[in-house]
Amino acid sequence: MSSVRKRALGAAVALVVGVVVAGCGGGAGEQQQSGEQTLKMWTFKKSHADALNKVAAQFKSETGITVSVEAVTPDDVFVSKVQSAAQTNGLPDVLEVHAGGEDLEMGASGLLQDLQGDVGDAWKQRLLPTTRESGVMTQQRIDDAASDSPFKSAKAGQRFSVGFTAGAFGIVYANKDKLQAAGLDPNTPPKTWEEFLDALKATTGKDAQQGGLSLGLKVSQTGYNWIYQPLAHSYLGKDRFQALFAKGAAQGFASPDGVKTLDVYSKLTPYWMPGSTTLGIDEADIAFAQGKSAFDVGGTFTLAFLAQNGMSPDKVLTFPIPPSSEGVNKEISMSPLALTGLGVTATTQNRAAAVKWIDWLTSPKGAGAVAKESLDLPATDLGADAEALLGADLAALQKYFTGSPESAYDAADVAFFPSDYDQVKPGDLMVRLTPLQEVSPQQAGTELDKIMGSMWKATE
Amino acid sequence: MDEPSGGRSPRRWPGWLTGWAFVLPAIALFAVMGVYTIGSGLALSFAKWNGFTPTWNWVGIQNYLDLLYADPVLAPELRRAGWNTLQVMILAPLLTVAISLPLAVALNSIRRLRAVLRSVYFLPYVTTGVAIYFAWRYVLEPDGAINTLLRSLGLGTLAQPQGFLGNPDTALPTLILILVWSSVPVATLLYLSGLQAVDPNLFEAAQIDGAAPRHVLRRIIWPLLRPITAAIVLLGVRDTLHGFQIFLVMTRGGPGGHTDVLALMAYRLSFFKGLAQTLGLASALGWLLFAAAVLLTLANARMLRRVR
Repeated sequence: MSSVRKRALGAAVALVVGVVVAGCGGGAGEQQQSGEQTLKMWTFKKSHADALNKVAAQFKSETGITVSVEAVTPDDVFVSKVQSAAQTNGLPDVLEVHAGGEDLEMGASGLLQDLQGDVGDAWKQRLLPTTRESGVMTQQRIDDAASDSPFKSAKAGQRFSVGFTAGAFGIVYANKDKLQAAGLDPNTPPKTWEEFLDALKATTGKDAQQGGLSLGLKVSQTGYNWIYQPLAHSYLGKDRFQALFAKGAAQGFASPDGVKTLDVYSKLTPYWMPGSTTLGIDEADIAFAQGKSAFDVGGTFTLAFLAQNGMSPDKVLTFPIPPSSEGVNKEISMSPLALTGLGVTATTQNRAAAVKWIDWLTSPKGAGAVAKESLDLPATDLGADAEALLGADLAALQKYFTGSPESAYDAADVAFFPSDYDQVKPGDLMVRLTPLQEVSPQQAGTELDKIMGSMWKATE
Repeated sequence: MDEPSGGRSPRRWPGWLTGWAFVLPAIALFAVMGVYTIGSGLALSFAKWNGFTPTWNWVGIQNYLDLLYADPVLAPELRRAGWNTLQVMILAPLLTVAISLPLAVALNSIRRLRAVLRSVYFLPYVTTGVAIYFAWRYVLEPDGAINTLLRSLGLGTLAQPQGFLGNPDTALPTLILILVWSSVPVATLLYLSGLQAVDPNLFEAAQIDGAAPRHVLRRIIWPLLRPITAAIVLLGVRDTLHGFQIFLVMTRGGPGGHTDVLALMAYRLSFFKGLAQTLGLASALGWLLFAAAVLLTLANARMLRRVR
């Protein structure tokens, strides 16, 4: 063989070997090259990643375990990255996922380990009561799932995540300066839905362009999820509210109950901020922070975002979506639900260290440190230290978590939904009801029943 | 020279091996990136899967049936997205041709500043699409530049209080215009290169015969540039069938689903459904789009043959 040919052959072989080696590189084994325990974690929240990376130093000083946290945003990119990593054994050791569904799906699909044996009573007692069972598979979830759902392969009692952050949706933020300018008391929240509408009428009367209600209706389910559902819950009471979603519902959305709630919700039509349907969630919050609206609807987590965007918390009046004076419940409170949970991946080589990290993060010490950095409410009960750790404004939001169990709206209670429940479809329809006014409350009720019927059919 | 039946001689096999060693990476890449993914995607369209479970649930052609008519929610969604896609598919290429051809003729007829103007017209294509779409969103907001301009010109009745993307009547037409705006530069360049390849004697002869400019455009330029027109239309149709970035960034299919298109629906079924088992549906929709693209390509090839 000539030397030229030898060199060519050598180059070709080197290329092939290089491609193969590059393709097979990384993966298991790189985590413990120096003998030091190192954990990798992914989250879908940038603010959480920053906070977690900061407190990881404290964790390392106590345990010697290094933790590196990466934010993968937005949510859809996070899901697709986890999907592809699951196929290539590239998952990190710990994942922060949405609680109340995503954690169970991932667990039932074999991506997250069962932590039932690790999370004992003492650990659970640290958490807020309504978040203690978040991440635990129930027999009802298994029974309600479609026959081909991954839930069918899970066992009741398995725990796939531990509640990490908690909060509530349906919190209204009002600009005190705009309230005052419209002749309203900036320190007294409206007690009823009708008073809320009157306040909106006053602020839009004062400033039609910048006195309305902002909400990121580009993500159409926000109006449905954050305003309509708590409103309908307080209007009908828990049982009649849940009956709206029932399989083959006789008392569905097209019933007098359903139509009335849709009608009450549609009274918002004149008061939406111009262009609400073109705004995402963050954009709507930023618009409020910039003074482009008088009211904004979000969750307990919105306060931190408003503060980050220059809206001082003392300039904001907060209150939950107020109940209608015609409704069953005359007062409303929000049950705090676990918003995110922490899970250990099935492929981790560092299970003990991963559990220790989650244990530390959900302890009052760790949770307090993260909350302080991220301005997000933890699922851990901080007790008397809450105000010191969270600050007065964030801690004040917790007062909406107390109320009678009958009137409390619990967004984590999803047992009455079809197992393939998808909020986007009813969300789109609600946008057509208000602000677009393309359907009447009666038409919206009929269409919603069709949508629910389709989802129940998928469950069969 | 033919080898004996025993195979390649020991003296020659290194050459054979060298050839394969060079070709192997390309074959391996195509096998993984091409054959495997296409085959896997086709198989997935007959299954339900959420992207996590180790096994797929086979459902036969049910995904296709659900999309086409069986599912009372998905099928109307597909029809609405299909209708929106069709409007974009027809109007965007037509408007692109209607604007870029006269623009290219005008550019071709001037001598001074031609290079400068060509660069100016090409600018929209140079900037990254996503950045452009965000910029357009600000321009189209209720208090954006266009509404402000209309009001300052005394044309406030044309302004959109909800913004051009917030009004269901103006959202899709606005997106079509932005698509046209971003596709005109390439189309103009293609036409311009086509015009510069046309024999100038043809124009001269027509002018001597007394043909007006519009007659030159209609009788000479248009027939000669038909293959380029077909290519521009085909590119536009292709972009419409698989492009969803503009719809995702600017409206996310809203308001109320009025700008939903098929490619966005496939994306939504893949990544916006949480962990529902809709990847098979997304794949089935992708294959339906592929079938539509093949049909359109065949129609285009037939049209091109007729033109020639």
